[in-house]
Formats: sequence, C-alpha cells, structure tokens
Amino acid sequence: MKISVSQYASALFDLVAGKSEKEAIAVIKSFVAVLGKNHDLNKAEAISEAFNELWNKAHGELNAKLSSARELSAAIRETVTDYLKQQTGAKKIILETEINPEIIGGFVLRYGSKVLDGSLKNSLDSLKNKISN
Amino acid sequence: MSTTKDFIVEQLKEEISGFKAEVSEKSVGKVLKVSDGIALVSGLAEAMMSEILIFKTEKGEITGVALNLEESQVGAIVLGDFTVIKEGDEVVATKRILEVPVGENMIGRVVNPLGEPLDGKGKIETTKFYPVEKIAPGVITRASVKEPVQTGIKAIDAMIPIGRGQRELIIGDRQLGKTAIAVDTIINQKGQNMKCVYVAIGQKESKVANIVTKLTEAGAMDYTTIVLAGASTPASLLYIAPYAGCAMAEYFLDKGEDVLIIYDDLSKHAVSYREISLLLRRPPGREAYPGDVFYLHSRLLERACKLNKDFGGGSITALPIIETQAGDLSAYIPTNVISITDGQIFLEPDLFYKGNRPAVNAGLSVSRVGSSAQIKAMKKVAGKMRLEAAQYRELAAFAQFGSDLDPETKKKLERGQRLYEIFKQDQYQPLSVAKQVLAYYSLINGLMDDVPVERIREFENGLYKYADLNDAVLKLIEEKKELDEEVETGLKKLINDYKVTVDYLMK
Repeated sequence: MKISVSQYASALFDLVAGKSEKEAIAVIKSFVAVLGKNHDLNKAEAISEAFNELWNKAHGELNAKLSSARELSAAIRETVTDYLKQQTGAKKIILETEINPEIIGGFVLRYGSKVLDGSLKNSLDSLKNKISN
Repeated sequence: MSTTKDFIVEQLKEEISGFKAEVSEKSVGKVLKVSDGIALVSGLAEAMMSEILIFKTEKGEITGVALNLEESQVGAIVLGDFTVIKEGDEVVATKRILEVPVGENMIGRVVNPLGEPLDGKGKIETTKFYPVEKIAPGVITRASVKEPVQTGIKAIDAMIPIGRGQRELIIGDRQLGKTAIAVDTIINQKGQNMKCVYVAIGQKESKVANIVTKLTEAGAMDYTTIVLAGASTPASLLYIAPYAGCAMAEYFLDKGEDVLIIYDDLSKHAVSYREISLLLRRPPGREAYPGDVFYLHSRLLERACKLNKDFGGGSITALPIIETQAGDLSAYIPTNVISITDGQIFLEPDLFYKGNRPAVNAGLSVSRVGSSAQIKAMKKVAGKMRLEAAQYRELAAFAQFGSDLDPETKKKLERGQRLYEIFKQDQYQPLSVAKQVLAYYSLINGLMDDVPVERIREFENGLYKYADLNDAVLKLIEEKKELDEEVETGLKKLINDYKVTVDYLMK
C-alpha cells in the first residue's frame, strides 16, 4: 500500500512530539531510512512542508512572507505581525522578509493561501485595466 | 485639436483621481497540473462550488470554474486557452459564482457562453448578471401549461401541440431536419410576443452562420439571442453553454415575458460533460458517462416553466434536440432526455427519404401537454388527425400487397394520402395558425377529395394565396380562435370559391 505525504507527515509529527532534540535526531534518522526503504525519498520536500504545517497548527505558529521594494523598518514589521496575529489568532508569527524591486512600492504579504497585495505594481495594474476597459 | 487633447488629459486626470486602489485579502492557490482544459490547483481552501477562479498567466488573465473541491486541492475547468497556463501560476479566488451578463441588449446578438460578443458588433452594454447555475422554480410558483407556442409547422401544431412552458424534445438521426424545425419555430415567433434563445452546442460554425443569416433575413434576429459554443470550443465552454443560455432566458422570465429556448444539441453537451468528468477522474458509468449525467439534463430542463400570475406569469419553453445514432432511441442519453421532457417529436429517416418533410413520425411523437395548448379552432380540426395518420401508415403497409380493398378502406387510404401530402412543408416557410386551420378544415370535410393527390400541394399553396387576397375569414379565425358557424360558412365559401378557379379537379 502506498503511504501518502500527509500520512508520513503526521507519523513524523507524532513520533517527535514531546521528545528532546537528541531523541528527535534518532527518530528522524530512522524515518529517513524508512523513506529510503519505501522508495519515497522524492517525497521528502513535500513531507517537510506538510510537517511544517502540522507543527504550526499545533503550536499556534504561522509562517508569513513579506515582500517590499525597500528595506522595512522594525516598526512596520511589528505592525504586520500584530495584524497577522489579529487576523489568524496565531500566537507566534515567523515573518520572512524579501526585497523585491519589481513591486515598485508598498508591500505584498503572503500567509497560508492568502495574499494581501498592497504593492504599487498591483495598483498600477488595476488602473491600467480600468482605463483600457 | 488642442481641445481634444486637453479634454483627454482632463478625463484621464479625473479618472486617476477617482481611482482608489483597494487592498483586500485574497485567497490564492497555485497550479499543480494542467491538462486538456482541466487544472488542478493547490490551496484555495475556501473555494466554493462553481466559483470563478482567475489564472494569472504571463499572457494575461484566464477564467476558470471550480468543479471538484477536495481536501487539499481544487479541480477546475479552464474557460479559455489552457495552453498558456503553467505549473506554479497563481490562481485567485473571486468569491463569485459563475454568472453571465443578461438584458435587453443581448437580443439580436451572437455571444459565447460567457456572454461575450462573437458577431463583431461591438461591446454589449448590460448592467445585470445572472448566475449560470440556478435551482428551477418550485411548485408553488408554477401554473399549468395552456397557451400555445405556434411552431408554424402544420404536422406539429396539429398533432403534437407545444404549450408555453413545455419541454418538447426533438429527436432523430443526423441530417433529418431537427435544426430546421427549431429554426422554423423561431422564425414563426414573429409578432407572437416571444423572445428566443438559440444555444448551439458543438455545432459547425458554418451551420450557425447559415442560421444567423436565415434568421436575419426573416427578421427573426429582432427577438433572438444566439449562444454559440462551436465545435472547436473547448469542452468546458460547451458544458456551460445551455446553462448560460437559460440564464439569459430567465432574465425575460423574471420580467413576466415568454421565452423559447432551443438547445442544439444535448447529445454533444453530454459528450462534453463526459470529457470533463473523465479528465477530472470522476468514475465512469454506462457508455462512460458519469453518474450525474441524468441530473446534468434534468436540472437544465426543469428550469423551463410556466409561472403563475403571482410570480409574473412568464414562461420558458424548451426545445432540446438529441441526435440518435442509427435511430437508437434506447441509448443512454436519449432515454434520459425522453423521460425528462414532456413529449418528443421523433423524426424518421424512412419518411424523410420518401419526401415527407418534416419527417415527423405521427405514431411515436407525443406531447404530454396535448390539446390544452391549442386554440379551439385547431382542436376541432386536428382532433382525430393523429389517429388517422397512424392508421393510414398501417393500412398503407397492408395495402401494398395489392389485394382488392373494400370501398371503406379505399376511402381511408385516399384521405390518408392527402393528409400526408398536407403534412409536407418547405423549410423557412412557417404557416400561420389560421392557414393551418384552413388546410385541415378543407381536408377533413372532404373538400379536397376531388383534388388529385399529386396536385394537393399546388392546390394548397393556391388556396393560401387566394385566402390572402380574401383574408376576412383568416382574420376572423385569428380573432375568435374558434370554429363557430360563421367561421365555418366563411371557410366553406372560401374553399369552394377557390375550387372554381382551378382546372385539375377530378370528376
């Protein structure tokens, strides 16, 4: 029987739950060995993604990605983190930032399957759409 | 020159100052897989059934519709060119159910199933949108079908009357004139207070172009919308075409108007749905159609209805068309649609090749609404016509053996031959109900018995022309809709007067 990515991820999650770092390393080692035995090593990336999601859900964490054209100040990052906490009810926000000159100005915030696009590029695009229609 | 330039700059400034970029949260997914008009999208956890999705590709935005909602992915059909979508492209959920523009301005236009113009006559200005999928009106909103739809085809109006709000199937092999019946019916709706929608599903574009030309020539485009999903359109658009056409019809229904909608044809619609279902990996059933192929057509045809006075009193009459293979009525889709509709018009190859066109089989064709959808005058003359026509065919088969026949049978045969002559009718020449009554009246009262069979049609056409010149009686029929003494004497006088002018009567 084939084992799906989500099954692997939840198995791994159950195995490492409540274990110390040292114990966890041993678990991961044997987990990878099982993956190899089942010829499922190509699923490793998807499994780690799914595991990440499970972990975040259980611990109230949230991964988010903030793109901006220029470096953002700590105060702005704080505001974004607060906004995300308020929106999702997560306890801890892991905010990844990225400098992307293509968006011209403003910011793009991605978390889960949501996107908050406040970039200048997006506004210009919709203005273009409005005028050309 | 400068004023125009200034004007444009001013307008632009105004537009830009009035423009407010709205920042709102959007659900975004990623394309996992694209194949043959189907896309698998990850994420979009909050997507609704038949929600519009926007695929953001390098070559602009493409619309899609969510059809399969699964645990971690969404199966969507792509309404447009799927070849430009790439794995990893962003997909935005719009939180809108698939809808089409509707309104008065759709009349006279040829549009695709999304309501976009295909006739090169420019943009269609509409303000209203109707959802493509809608649950049919419930039982308390409905009334019984009792007003006639005049198809203008003698054989149908007499034997298989269609009422406003009825669903009458037109079924037969290819090339037997199914579309011809539909087109003639549209042409005959002129001045009958009826809007028409013709939905072409998987038809050759040349055929549709031909229909548009004919309808324009006949002045029928003044009240007709054509929804075109041609043979080269992807299956996803073929699949939504009839629902979109029905949504456009429902706009007029809600205004209390009568609408006639033609689905040409539902066999190809079922095939396109089969294609989508198989690509979405839904399990195949009989003839590889998915399990919900019955619901596919029943929910569509159930939207045809006659509403009662409290709900506006409008109606949608549906004429679905089914193409059979070698006359096989017991295939999956024909049996399904036969059982959904309120009767069928069955076209037969034998009759067609014998020259009886339209090739309506009187025995197998029925209308479950029946004579309540006929005007009284027609009811009176057409009462026994169906039985007589069916009996004649049996007798004719028997009489082929050439034995001596008793005078009674002979008389019946003679009458039957003339009846079948009268059923013949050229394409694009629908007849008014008054003229039909005139023809049938002269036949059943034996006033045509002395006209040679081979000259019946000549006689008939002459009679119509004569009646046009002396149209008091025709007007009387249209006014009274009844066959009382006054009308009857008028009819008899008209026919006898005309008979004096012809020289080929038998003694």
